[in-house]
Amino acid sequence: MAEFQTVTKADDLEDGDMKAFEVGGVLIAIARIGDTFHAFDDTCTHEQCSLSDGGDLEGIIVVCPCHSSEFDVTNGDVVAPPADTPIRVYEIRLQGDDLQVKV
Amino acid sequence: MTRDAYVIVGANLAGGSAALTLRDEGFDGDVVLIGEEPHPPYERPPLSKEYLRGEAPFAKSLLKPRADYEAKGIKLCLGVRASRIDSAQKQVELDGGESLAYDKLLIATGSRNRRLRVPGADLPGVFDLRKVEDADRIRGQAGPGKKAVLAGMGFIGAEVAASLRQSGTEVTAVEMASGPLIHALGLEISKLVEGLHRDHGVELVFEERVARFEGSGKVERVVTDAGRKIDCDFVVVGVGVEPAAELAAGTGVAIENGIVVDEYCRTNVEGIYAAGDVTNHQHPLIQRKVRVEHWQNALRQGAAAARSMIGKPTPYEEVHWFWSDQYDCNIQYAGFHSEWDETVTRGNRDERSFVTFYLKGGRVRSAVAFNQARDLRRSISLIRAGVRADPEKLRDPAVDLRKLVA
Repeated sequence: MAEFQTVTKADDLEDGDMKAFEVGGVLIAIARIGDTFHAFDDTCTHEQCSLSDGGDLEGIIVVCPCHSSEFDVTNGDVVAPPADTPIRVYEIRLQGDDLQVKV
Repeated sequence: MTRDAYVIVGANLAGGSAALTLRDEGFDGDVVLIGEEPHPPYERPPLSKEYLRGEAPFAKSLLKPRADYEAKGIKLCLGVRASRIDSAQKQVELDGGESLAYDKLLIATGSRNRRLRVPGADLPGVFDLRKVEDADRIRGQAGPGKKAVLAGMGFIGAEVAASLRQSGTEVTAVEMASGPLIHALGLEISKLVEGLHRDHGVELVFEERVARFEGSGKVERVVTDAGRKIDCDFVVVGVGVEPAAELAAGTGVAIENGIVVDEYCRTNVEGIYAAGDVTNHQHPLIQRKVRVEHWQNALRQGAAAARSMIGKPTPYEEVHWFWSDQYDCNIQYAGFHSEWDETVTRGNRDERSFVTFYLKGGRVRSAVAFNQARDLRRSISLIRAGVRADPEKLRDPAVDLRKLVA
């Protein structure tokens, strides 16, 4: 049964930042865009590069560093190839200062 | 009233991208995609990399599964060669005698590998790389205990060398320049690529050309113009490509280093468009015609041509971009330079983690990055804006490149 797990503090991330965390055995990237947070699979569906390590956030789009695949962090949709499979996104919420993700 | 028929010759990345874009943009006439290969459109970068190494199935290289074309009412004519275009009658003639009428035609016939015209080039075991079957043949020969010679060390040579080394094959590369990728990336970067390959055990022979292949029944040895003999089990030839523009001959379409098109992918003949590797395209940012051999150009220019065809033209002015993965080194390039007067580097070349900017007249024309994709991506807007850049800010990794676009 999926549950919210505390992953990190909101202050851990600045606006425009992304970091990866292992949550329930899954590598999840958390991105901060302004005051909203998004959680998604850190692993690009093209060639399994890390999106957070060297990738870029352009608005709500995450760009993979390896070959520039683009995903919408709000729903995981592929915005630009070469990836053609969406990434999973996860529910994320702020409880006080804690960022919690449901895996 | 019959429906308009748009015919695309070239069931590859450019042609496939165009066909799909026609439907996405609302074209409801007939769309016919003709391809010489028996496969639906697929991308070629994996053929020298993960597909060659057997790490990814062919299905992953497809632009879209075959069923998607059917679902969108795109007719695929695969394994069929277009032999002639009759631009007066607006027909495409196919091998086998059939003719297809068109209202608009997109030529996306791509590149053709240059051949080494030397004795023995037809010996079994002398391969080149363009199609998925070529990659299958090469993979079939590779492995521990096998020796390969690469004729030419451009991007294909460098990537195939890396993939073969990773499969345990012994590799010797013969390149007529003084290093790999000098023309594309300059001497300094060439030295880094050279070092990368030496570190992985590639034997490098520079400033020599293949004079002939020798062998009985199959290739057994390569002989260079300096008389050097290199024993081998197989050869991969990568000596560049030419635009496959011959289909346009006789149509009145201007051909010069490819099919000449404007920034809307239009040729000089009304109703005939071209996209991808085959084009010599007028580029608004570079302000002249250019021909490139990039995956991204095929994809985006194919889409741009489709939009022009249906009357929604926007100038195609993408900053060109490509990648080359060699071993665990991710090399990326953005822009287009043919000459530069200074380079500025951010990061550490010895650690293979840097971006080098090529400037002309103080403006960044292009950039190459080793394992620094984020900054390379951020350079694209700098290149597009064409602003003068402060070399110190380019050099300083703490400076966000996005802020340099005034």
